[in-house]
Amino acid sequence: MFAADHDLPIPYMARTREYYLALGYKPYRWAHFADAPFTPLGTPLSRARVALITTAAPFQPEAGDQGPRAPYNASAKFYQVYSAPVDSKPDLRISHVGYDRLHTVPEDINAYFPLTRLQEAVAAGRIGSLSPRFHGAPTNRSHRVTMETDLPELLRRCREDGADAAVLVPS
Amino acid sequence: MGLAARHLEANGIPTVIMGCAKDIVEHCGVPRFLWTDFPLGNSAGRPFDVESQAQTLELALRVLESAPAARTTVQSPLRWSADAAWKLDYLDLTKLTPDKIEERRKEFAEVKAVAKSKRDGS
Repeated sequence: MFAADHDLPIPYMARTREYYLALGYKPYRWAHFADAPFTPLGTPLSRARVALITTAAPFQPEAGDQGPRAPYNASAKFYQVYSAPVDSKPDLRISHVGYDRLHTVPEDINAYFPLTRLQEAVAAGRIGSLSPRFHGAPTNRSHRVTMETDLPELLRRCREDGADAAVLVPS
Repeated sequence: MGLAARHLEANGIPTVIMGCAKDIVEHCGVPRFLWTDFPLGNSAGRPFDVESQAQTLELALRVLESAPAARTTVQSPLRWSADAAWKLDYLDLTKLTPDKIEERRKEFAEVKAVAKSKRDGS
């Protein structure tokens, strides 16, 4: 028996394009490259220092509803790279991004920010260590700002922390 | 996030992305990608399911260690539900009446204005 015809990767770009057009907006142009860089992992993972990078936002008490059932909340967005210690029990939310509000409720931070699971992997010896800080990458619609300002800053912080590798988790 | 992975990688830091939006990540073109076919918002595994989250992270770490070349995508074997009908709903225009679309248009204009003022103030 074959899988259902609609049991495919969701065509997010096509759906978003059609949705914006129906609303009367120019479609968003997603970043697109024909090639991709590649750097082999130079250190065995059991000795490597791993950085965690997220698009989730620190809870901001003044920025409106950021709870698990909050509608899309643009005032909870952030526009600068941020960092926080990995041992700080961060309270990170995703009300500022377009996650699937029909089919999931983000009540468990571990489903979009795997810090605790990474700490367990360190304790088990699977990973050497974590970078002392995790980093937040802004979800800015401007590719220019992302590439010219935010990414050099993110790289600078990863280097400062001596990261051998990075795990990036969009939300 | 695709752009971030590319930038770090091009500057000597190997990366892996854990994500749910297969088309968007692959359209960008990234070094290593663990794709989990879950609703957006669950890139690191199923909520309140430590086993699912640990399995997702372990797969991502194996992709990080062993991808033979750039643009390696590995699909997690995890299923959100036995029935894939949930995949039909995301931004499904066929479920929106003209009134509803007008309402969404207004909401979107408001959201855009809020994002702009926040961005300008940053």
